[in-house]
Amino acid sequence: MASISLRGVEKRYGSELVLRDCNLDIDDHEFMVLVGPSGSGKTTLLRIIAGLEPLSGGDVYFDDVRVNEVDVGDRDIAMVFQNYGLYPHMNVYDNMAFGLKRRGLPKDQIDEQVRRTAQLLGIEPMLRRRPKQLSGGQRQRVALGRAIVRDPAVFLLDEPLSNLDAHLRVQMRAEILKVHRAVTATAVYVTHDQVEALTMGDRIVVMRDGLIQQVGTPEDLYDHPANRFVAGFIGTPAMGFVRCTVRRTADSAELVGPGLRIPIPQQRAAAIPPDVDTVEVGLRPERLLLEPASERLGTVTGVVEMIEQLGSEYYVHVDVDGAVVTARAAREHRVRIEDKVQLRTDGSYAHIFDVETGAVYG
Amino acid sequence: MTAVSSPAPARQRTPVRRRAQKRVGTLGRNIGIGVALFFALSPLYWMVTTSLKTDLEATRQDPSLWPEELTASNYHELINGNLPFGSFALNSIITALAAAVIGMVLSALGGYALSRGTFRLREPISYLVLIAQMLPLVVLLGPLYLLLLNAKLVNTLPGLVVGYISFAVPFGMWLMKGFFDAVPREVEEAARVDGYPRWQILFRVVLPLTIPGLLTTGTFVFIESWNNLIYPLTLINTMDKQTLPGGLILSFTGQFKTDWAGMMAASCVTTIPLLVAFFAIQRSMVRGLTAGAVAGE
Repeated sequence: MASISLRGVEKRYGSELVLRDCNLDIDDHEFMVLVGPSGSGKTTLLRIIAGLEPLSGGDVYFDDVRVNEVDVGDRDIAMVFQNYGLYPHMNVYDNMAFGLKRRGLPKDQIDEQVRRTAQLLGIEPMLRRRPKQLSGGQRQRVALGRAIVRDPAVFLLDEPLSNLDAHLRVQMRAEILKVHRAVTATAVYVTHDQVEALTMGDRIVVMRDGLIQQVGTPEDLYDHPANRFVAGFIGTPAMGFVRCTVRRTADSAELVGPGLRIPIPQQRAAAIPPDVDTVEVGLRPERLLLEPASERLGTVTGVVEMIEQLGSEYYVHVDVDGAVVTARAAREHRVRIEDKVQLRTDGSYAHIFDVETGAVYG
Repeated sequence: MTAVSSPAPARQRTPVRRRAQKRVGTLGRNIGIGVALFFALSPLYWMVTTSLKTDLEATRQDPSLWPEELTASNYHELINGNLPFGSFALNSIITALAAAVIGMVLSALGGYALSRGTFRLREPISYLVLIAQMLPLVVLLGPLYLLLLNAKLVNTLPGLVVGYISFAVPFGMWLMKGFFDAVPREVEEAARVDGYPRWQILFRVVLPLTIPGLLTTGTFVFIESWNNLIYPLTLINTMDKQTLPGGLILSFTGQFKTDWAGMMAASCVTTIPLLVAFFAIQRSMVRGLTAGAVAGE
């Protein structure tokens, strides 16, 4: 068990700065997920925590002890790699026992630990098999087993599920969380899949271009994104964005645009600087409804561009004067492509961003 | 009607034409392979048949394709005659084996540094090593002779081993580099996370994964050393330390006469260890020489 702190962490490859001023505190026993698009620096940050990548600037602390110069083997960490990183010439048992042997544990203790871990992960029958004789899911379990068998203080996972099919991925997600609960180690998990991040993380770090954009619980990130990037990245289907003008009167305020009029509460309007007239408005699909008009609700008018059938419900992609927003609709609402539709939305759930910086207002 | 029916015969003709083209292609390929085999195997055939001819038949003006009188006398003479064939063979075995083992170790260490090293001059050094391989042996012979002379290693078997290693290791390093490049970095990093130091990772994780490469490199150095003529002729000047190629040339070639039949018998015996070595590792050698050629290998 260990808490991890990053202070002003920077990483440079030649002249290219791939991580900039990263500050992060990961609590003991927390399951922290680093998420972001390709090239956002999440794997580099994980490798820096592991000690596999030297720092160009800043400090890394494990339990308030600076570990910048501590070798990877002495950090009491375990890591699960994207391509498993199993030793191909060793069987499953030896793969799991390899790290324990290095620690000089007695043979019977190694045997006991390996078998206990194998039992936890259901890989006991394949202990004598080589990695190439295993399926992708089994290999991933072995990689997981190899990591937890040493009972590390920190457990690092680099996109461990990206090579598995969708069904197995869902199954392994639950398995990893079960293992995390069982081992009580601090876990840092890298993924580019925001669904994985939302379903697994106690907290999530959203990264982009080597910068941490926001750190928070899944609910925080979903309900209160710090900027337009986080708002667009978190959530499936993605949040739709429309450019609007802020129209203020003495006792009310509304967001107005072509085909769009959304009344917003006074306190939301107060968060927008008085000199700002144009804003970017983000609307989540579940807040855009195919419902009859009402005084309280705003209206978004557009043309149906695409329909995604999900069985129990469907998503309607609506073109609102060039911008596309997505609405979630119940099965009983029948719409067709090219239909002109009016969507209702509650202005108190609208996310309002600065057009230039993308920062959220309020 | 015509418009509809016309494409039909065309569709029928195309597979026929394709089959004919395929047959011609196969025939051409087989002829090519036949010609290449003829060039590769005819010297071997000539060596074996000449070794079974009498001295007179081997040197006559109108050569016979097959011995008119089969004789094993050349082989008998090789074993029971005055020629120190056993000494030549022993020197060859000692020097080629020593060069193979040392060359394998040096190639593995050098190749690992070229593949995984993070030092600044890694790339220029890699290419310098490759350039060294491009120089003809004769060019290196003069400086090598002077070096060995100063080190008092001329006319010694260790000196000869040093000579063999000097030309075999650059290629061996590149060969091993290809194998090391093919080992996923994650495997090594997993061992680092498991707490192993670099040298233990090399010996316990990386080298076991590159055994075909090691065998290929070792066999390559062995074959090159075993066949080498110019180094033993230059660096060794007494018959008791001479190896097979140099010894045979010096023993069978005289000022007025060359004992071709005897030399061919000796050559046949000399070739056997090479054939055994080559066939033993043929598959991994092919894999070794193409390592890294396929993405994701």
